[in-house]
Amino acid sequence: MNTNLVDVRNVTKDFHNGKITVNALRGLDLAIHEGDFLAIVGPSGSGKTTLLNLIGALDIATSGDVHLFGHDLTALSRRERAELRLTSLGFVFQAYNLIPVLTALENVKFVLELQGIDGGRHERAMSTLEDLSLGELANRRPNEMSGGQQQRVAVARAIVSRPRLVLADEPTANLDSENSEALLRMMRELRDRHGMTFVFSTHDPLVMAHATRVVTLLDGRVASDEVKNAGEEVGSAN
Amino acid sequence: MRDLLLAKLALRTLGRNPRRTLLSIVGIGVGCGIVLYMVAFTRGSSEMRIRAISESGFGHARIAPATWEKTRDSDLRLVDWKRDLDIAGSMAEVEFAAPHSRTTALLAFGTCVTGVEMVGVDPNVERNISRLVRVLSEGRYLERGDEGAVVIGTAIADRLEVELDDDLFITIAGAGGEMKYAMLRIVGIVSTGSRTIDGTICHVTLAEMEHLTGYLGAGEITIVFRDPSNIDALTVRLQERLEGTDPVLSWKVVIPSQGGDMGSDTVFMNLLMGVVIVVAVLGVASAQLTAILERKREFAVLIALGMGGGRIVRLVLIEALAMGVLGAVAGLAMGFPFIYPAATSGYNFAEMMGGDFVTEGVLFDPIIYADMGMWLIPLAFAVALFSTLVAGLYPAWYALRTNPTSALSLREA
Repeated sequence: MNTNLVDVRNVTKDFHNGKITVNALRGLDLAIHEGDFLAIVGPSGSGKTTLLNLIGALDIATSGDVHLFGHDLTALSRRERAELRLTSLGFVFQAYNLIPVLTALENVKFVLELQGIDGGRHERAMSTLEDLSLGELANRRPNEMSGGQQQRVAVARAIVSRPRLVLADEPTANLDSENSEALLRMMRELRDRHGMTFVFSTHDPLVMAHATRVVTLLDGRVASDEVKNAGEEVGSAN
Repeated sequence: MRDLLLAKLALRTLGRNPRRTLLSIVGIGVGCGIVLYMVAFTRGSSEMRIRAISESGFGHARIAPATWEKTRDSDLRLVDWKRDLDIAGSMAEVEFAAPHSRTTALLAFGTCVTGVEMVGVDPNVERNISRLVRVLSEGRYLERGDEGAVVIGTAIADRLEVELDDDLFITIAGAGGEMKYAMLRIVGIVSTGSRTIDGTICHVTLAEMEHLTGYLGAGEITIVFRDPSNIDALTVRLQERLEGTDPVLSWKVVIPSQGGDMGSDTVFMNLLMGVVIVVAVLGVASAQLTAILERKREFAVLIALGMGGGRIVRLVLIEALAMGVLGAVAGLAMGFPFIYPAATSGYNFAEMMGGDFVTEGVLFDPIIYADMGMWLIPLAFAVALFSTLVAGLYPAWYALRTNPTSALSLREA
């Protein structure tokens, strides 16, 4: 489990708002390994979401290098980055962000359609939903589901194509503790079963408790990087 | 099936805000309906103009002497009119080919005198091409072999104070400038309903004209095509058949003012249609842009999931196309109640034109009918789809430029 999926080296990211420049990341270094269940924590404005956007090829660093699966993201075109996101990344958002006019099943199938997978789309999407105990909700639209159910569908959408890396931005922020716990257990199970790597940006102690590694950001830099052992994980979670 | 869900997403999106979608469709429908009506009316009036020109004896085209277009000299004659007539008559696309010869004449009866353009005709063919000679108030029209016979309009008869079977004294300038005189008996008096036209009709047979003027043969051959919608191409084809002996001129050249009028009418109508389409396009673009702005977060998610630019554009354009299809149906539904009465009852311009609807020797029917046909359906779809596609381009580009990081940030949630 020592292969680096992501290498972030001396990365800075500045945002300009009129004459004001905000230095969101200030020379950040981070390596993410295959199989990590990593929580990025820190106060608001510490750069968690910015880092996640850079790793997710949604944004480009102002300076420094971000390597994802060996690809230098700064060297990739917009189209190549989109292709990389489509084939190798899964996203889970705080606000679920399911497509409201599509059913749960269609939301999950949509990713497979985008990937150009023609055969067995329905079966694959359905089986993913069933794995997450969502089989009965397959034909419901997002507004007919609870927040927890929607977030599980969002996870199903993120993992249906078996991406190597799943990025989750505050995935439990809108969930109660029971749903949060269930969601995190499910993600841990997916990591264990499919060898996926999960990276969370979070404030939630529950996520930190489940994480195998907790990286704390402060003022756009890594303040601490703590790797926990298996015993600690279970103990913390309970 | 590829992009099935993309299409589903696009179509279902239209149902998210039914009121806006409905208003957009109504907007496209109104624009499309107006364009359909204008095209139907323009086509109808153009057809009527061409028919009026043809039935006033001008035909759809004319084989004329080489210098006629420049000089407009009525004493000019064709190089070999019988050959031209045979070639034109043998063309399947030609319905009628009528030889004519013209000269300026002075008609006198007692102390009354009037000047006219006398036309030599083949009576058997003339009856078919000119409705003017079918409306005889007295007597009969000319027949082949008639000698010393003339048919005149009622206005000429009134001016000269003559009646049927009276003998007119004719003075004309013959070949070589020699003055020639003859007596012609009035065998028929034509009453078209237009004093202007009735003041110009003075027909004799071609043979009589040759005899009177000394100029042999015909000065022009008037051509009526079977398909009036294809006059320019048929004119060129006939010209090729004639192999360059005498030029073939379309009616637009023969009566340039009519061609100019029709051209300017068409330009004006196209301009109006352009304005209507631009207004519709801007309305739809505005509505669609609002819809895109409302779904900015959704587009950010789609981009984050790895949806390519081509698919984003396709998604927006499918929505636009769907609205276009519905807009076309709405346009047909809205246009039909206006086009149908215009096509069946027409608009009567008689009062507006003062009752006499004549310009440049062309007797127009005062009632203009819109042209209604199945062609309206593809036109409706073409106009609506074109408008909505154009209207969808900017919103599609805008959706494509969505910045996923800012659109997904909590501040904009």
